[in-house]
Amino acid sequence: MHEASIAMGLLNSLEELAEKENAKKVVKVKVRIGKLSGIVIDSFVFAFNALKEESPKLKETELIVEEVPLKYRCRECGEEFSCETVFFPECPKCKSINLELISGEELEVVNAEIEV
Amino acid sequence: MCDVCGCNNHNHDNLMKVSDNTGKKNLEIKKSLLSKNDEVAHHNKEHFDKDGVLAVNLISSPGSGKTTLLEKTIEALKDELLIGVLEGDIETERDAERVRAKGAAAVQLTTGGACHLEAPLVHKGYHALKKQLGRAPELLFIENVGNLVCPSSFYLGEDIRVVLISVPEGSDKPAKYPKAFKTSQAFIITKIDLLPFFDFDIEKVKEEALSLNPNLKVFTLSAKTGEGLEEWFNFLREKVKEKKGALQRA
Repeated sequence: MHEASIAMGLLNSLEELAEKENAKKVVKVKVRIGKLSGIVIDSFVFAFNALKEESPKLKETELIVEEVPLKYRCRECGEEFSCETVFFPECPKCKSINLELISGEELEVVNAEIEV
Repeated sequence: MCDVCGCNNHNHDNLMKVSDNTGKKNLEIKKSLLSKNDEVAHHNKEHFDKDGVLAVNLISSPGSGKTTLLEKTIEALKDELLIGVLEGDIETERDAERVRAKGAAAVQLTTGGACHLEAPLVHKGYHALKKQLGRAPELLFIENVGNLVCPSSFYLGEDIRVVLISVPEGSDKPAKYPKAFKTSQAFIITKIDLLPFFDFDIEKVKEEALSLNPNLKVFTLSAKTGEGLEEWFNFLREKVKEKKGALQRA
């Protein structure tokens, strides 16, 4: 259940942001979470919404989560494709298994909307 | 590539204003959700590099044999290397006492409920350990809280991350916990003396782990019988030497 500490970290940075920007409140925040980031999105959202109550500027903040699927690039033919599995994926075009994971590990805050 | 957030740029603090006309403002942030932890982890890494200490982060489920392997490792290497241990647990001093009894300096990090270690606690622990030793260790073990999920998301500044599974846990662990295997540099299968009693397919486990991470260095060993331990000790000896060499070159 490390989702709670990560949610707490996000709330702390939003507090700092609100302070720095002299905001009345933070309206929404958007995060991107990769399928391979090790985060259970439901737990993260639950923790965020439970913990935000503690902060006057954040208690109405809407959390928007974009889930990022696994995406590979084939090192042989350059084909880029989405794929559900991390085990033995192969290129749909040339069947190579020499692949590079290009997305799916994201764990980032994209943007925030504040009211000043 | 940043190994925590998977991004390709490290300009995490780039904060750009996009619009400013309605009393509402959109701020582009583009920052890792773990940036606070990572800042301190990189600071830890600077300490380890400056002190020439090899830092090894051990990750596994509870009961896979991290502490027992540590005891054996300390017994074998304590006369040639100065070893320090940061013991992560939710409660109790027990593991720190176990490794102290074998002759290593140890600081217990109790997380008070948290299921993983974070970089700031390791930072505090490292300074306490140096104070205890009067100098920096040559080999530092960070024994994470027993948990195969959460610790893999938190970089602590370590040089090497080691994931362990024991034979009784079953062969399906790499498939169920891919992140721990993807982010580690070494993988140890422990308690191989129990292989005759379990349906544990050692080749399949290796194959699955390597498909997740082809660079994993794999060890199979038993701390009880001693089988396979020497290869693990030699790996550590070599990595400590490399780390010291890097310090001398710098």
